[in-house]
Amino acid sequence: MLEIEHLVTGYGGVPVLHDVSLKLGAGELVGLLGANNAGKTTLINNLSGIFTPMSGRILFEGQDVTRLTARQRVELGIVQVPEGRMVFPEMSVRENLLLGGINQRAKPHRAQQMEHVLELFPRLRERLGQKAGTLSGGEQQMLAIGRALMAEARLLMLDEPSLGLSPLFVQYIFGIIDRLHKEGLTILLVEQNLNLTLRHAQRCYVLERGRIAVEGSSDVVKNDPRTRSAYLGL
Amino acid sequence: MTEFMQALAQGVLIGSTYGLLALGMGLVYGVSGVVNFSHGDFISLGMFMCLGLYSALALDPYVSAVITVPVMTAIGAVVYWYLIRPMVGHQFLMVVQLTLGLSLVLQNGILMVFGGQPARTPSMVESKLLILGDVVVRVPHVIAFVVSFALAIGLYVMLRSTDFGRSIRAVHQNANAAALMGIDVRWVQTLTFALGIGLLAIAAALLLPGTPIQPAQGLRYTVITLLVVVLGGMTNFVGIMLGGLIIGISEAFGTIYLSDTLGMLLPYGIFVLIMLFRPQGLTWSSSR
Repeated sequence: MLEIEHLVTGYGGVPVLHDVSLKLGAGELVGLLGANNAGKTTLINNLSGIFTPMSGRILFEGQDVTRLTARQRVELGIVQVPEGRMVFPEMSVRENLLLGGINQRAKPHRAQQMEHVLELFPRLRERLGQKAGTLSGGEQQMLAIGRALMAEARLLMLDEPSLGLSPLFVQYIFGIIDRLHKEGLTILLVEQNLNLTLRHAQRCYVLERGRIAVEGSSDVVKNDPRTRSAYLGL
Repeated sequence: MTEFMQALAQGVLIGSTYGLLALGMGLVYGVSGVVNFSHGDFISLGMFMCLGLYSALALDPYVSAVITVPVMTAIGAVVYWYLIRPMVGHQFLMVVQLTLGLSLVLQNGILMVFGGQPARTPSMVESKLLILGDVVVRVPHVIAFVVSFALAIGLYVMLRSTDFGRSIRAVHQNANAAALMGIDVRWVQTLTFALGIGLLAIAAALLLPGTPIQPAQGLRYTVITLLVVVLGGMTNFVGIMLGGLIIGISEAFGTIYLSDTLGMLLPYGIFVLIMLFRPQGLTWSSSR
């Protein structure tokens, strides 16, 4: 479904990612691991079209999307749940969800999709009229995921969904991710939390200072000594 | 007492249009961080376009608005896309410099076409009066008030309950997140700027009847608009309309109770006073 080929990207001419290649099959739940500054967020912002790579290609269902704008990618179904959740704080939960479904592809079925999202997150239904900025961190994460689902994501990319959440909420959010995966959604899970991700993902990539250090099934990655060293920066 | 009521009525009526002027500036600031120092010169442009249409076709300013609004909106879109957009995200002062330059271009362009003589654009309602008890108000002021408030309410509803309005608010609150929703941020910024300039065309027609105009007046409108926007807390809708009323009222009181020149100073004095005690503007929290 998604193929990244020899991606090089950076800021102001200084590469952050060097020759990164990655593949995601339809319906897969793939983890992208790495320590701080490994380049995880940079990678998915390239996938979202926030940055344009210096070289390399990104293929989505065989179509070259490397030069498409952020908007065109959302129209294709490449949707990101950003790090730090980035809900619109001064808008109600309902308005946040409506904005999620603002792209042309999702807009015609916004009402049904919202019903679906509210079934998935009953807590959001209780808070529909409340400003998003007044929600707890966990509720904001639900909203951010709900908002992405409103966009009728076909490839859902989650950037650090466990960040800053209580263990109970982390468990809950990962339960939701599992459920979405079982429903057939293709998911790229970007995480710092190693063990958690290895437990839920089928395959993982480990980024280390802008390069893929390890890749393979979660068991393989788990037992590879390079995984730990990538984390410890050795 | 009559004088007092008279000043109050006049101030409220004109202040509503100041509020409308400032809403345009506030919206633009909210989505792109641009403060447009040629704001007042675009009002001038709108007014002189009405004058031109009157000279050529004997159109009433209110009728001319049907033509000036779409034309000015289009000019706004072109100016933002080709001139301002490339500067956004660079040094703040570059945008200031650019819009100040634009102000000079507009001012001198108008001077070239229309000359420097003060001019007036007649309207059929110009000298009509509305008498409410002791208070006498000019009909153009009443029209300005009604239209400004109707437009302000319309804008509010648009921001609250349309996708375009929600996109504007989304870009204001978090432009990166808006982009991730598939909102074309640059396009929203351009349309908002165009909308702001289109509003100015309406405001120009509303302010025009009975008001002498001259090419150098733009800066005065820019400064008044800035006062209102700052009073209103930059992006707060209700605050900006309230700020418009305060500046309008203090201007009216100044001209009625004080001499002409001293009276013109009153809004600035009131502004300084309010800013001393409420530097964050009139509003208590941002509602957008």
